[in-house]
Amino acid sequence: MAYQLYRNTTLGNSLQESLDELIQSQQITPQLALQVLLQFDKAINLALAQRVRNRVNFRGSLNTYRFCDNVWTFVLNDVEFREVTELVKVDKVKIVACDGKNTGSNTAE
Amino acid sequence: MASSTNTNPVPKLYRSVIEDVINDVREVFLDEGVDEQVLMELKTLWENKLMQSKAVDGFHSEEQQLLLQVQQQQQQQQQQQQHHHHHHHTQPQPQQTVQQQSQPQQVLIPASQQAPQQQVIVPDSKLIPHMNASGMSAAATAATLALPAGVTPVQQILTNSGQILQVVRTANGAQYIIQPQQPVVLQQQVIPQMQPGGVQAPVIQQVLAPIPGGLSQQTGVIIQPQQILFTGNKTQVIPTTVAAPTTAQAQIPAAGQQQPQQQQAQPQAPLVLQVDGAGDTSSEEEEDEEEDYDDDEEEDKEKDGGEDGQVEEEPLNSEDDVSDEEGQELFDTENVVVCQYDKIHRSKNKWKFHLKDGIMNLNGRDYVFSKAIGDAEW
Repeated sequence: MAYQLYRNTTLGNSLQESLDELIQSQQITPQLALQVLLQFDKAINLALAQRVRNRVNFRGSLNTYRFCDNVWTFVLNDVEFREVTELVKVDKVKIVACDGKNTGSNTAE
Repeated sequence: MASSTNTNPVPKLYRSVIEDVINDVREVFLDEGVDEQVLMELKTLWENKLMQSKAVDGFHSEEQQLLLQVQQQQQQQQQQQQHHHHHHHTQPQPQQTVQQQSQPQQVLIPASQQAPQQQVIVPDSKLIPHMNASGMSAAATAATLALPAGVTPVQQILTNSGQILQVVRTANGAQYIIQPQQPVVLQQQVIPQMQPGGVQAPVIQQVLAPIPGGLSQQTGVIIQPQQILFTGNKTQVIPTTVAAPTTAQAQIPAAGQQQPQQQQAQPQAPLVLQVDGAGDTSSEEEEDEEEDYDDDEEEDKEKDGGEDGQVEEEPLNSEDDVSDEEGQELFDTENVVVCQYDKIHRSKNKWKFHLKDGIMNLNGRDYVFSKAIGDAEW
């Protein structure tokens, strides 16, 4: 089972909302929606692993950190994200990171 | 919008993911006996939401992207000739006669985003200039109302009497129904979304109650998630959630009593519900009944401020907020990075992050990375 981590992204949330609308109008069953989401998890994990090839650097100050259930959650302040092409600055960012080593066994978000 | 010099990998990535998912679930859909049409609808909904979020520069395909650029050029040429075009923020021609909209409209409603079930009150005065006898266009609603971000397209539903009901769906699934005003008998159509079986959707209804004097009275009504049963001349509102404000409950039975008085000649009951509290030019009957429920209305309590018990609450409320100020960013989106970690290292208070396969939403825009390395001091 792939990580369900990416469901809380623009792509994932828009999919969930669309599925919810179809469930509301009773065009699909919740079970079917779940299947779609599981398929989405696989697809996005695969796509990120294979089709993305860029690096980002960032620097900031660490406000909080948490490590629970093998999931790191950080909150950073005054962060600069630097890519070759552009620079993005934010006042506050939350980073949620699942374990990248064994991606096949964990289903936690 | 689309960066032409730098190939932004995000839209292509999203496109490919959407295609993969749709193709992979096609079989599942067929196994469950669901029509292919529904699958296409899912895809359309998905893509539309992505487009609306403006987090990506995504379009359906590069072909359509080129098409859109051509359209924009044509629109710029036509802009001086015609004062309307397909752009979201301008007011198109009255669309009362258009039963189906080809392009989505963004409707704005002045509601806070924090509470998805918050009561939205539509003041009468603002609506009057936008409501004429021929009905209200979607764009007129846009001028007066402001929705939170992420509103899906406005749909128009044709009622029995030929009126256009406008249904707006917000991002959290809530549905708002906006009825135009007409100085004629207002027939309540059984709106498809409203079923006794259980649809919870906040309903915004601008209901017209024909007063025997011939004047038409508008009321803006927002009803929290409740089931509204249309039964003959009576409208019963059944609160299904605890979050239903007492004002709505208080006003609706009151208004329900008035309806039979005003609808003697009408086979169906238009709703005359006023839940926006005191302070408007309503009839005396309504005001009296509002005063009866003053104690229950939280809004009036806060407005008056001088009632017993209210003084005690204010100092208490002021101490509630202990957290850091979270409204620092101009954007409402919390900047989030969702990824996997290769290695997290710490030395004294110096942290090093080695991350991979991440999706970032920063300042409202989406980014992706295969690797990210960061430093921070705690």
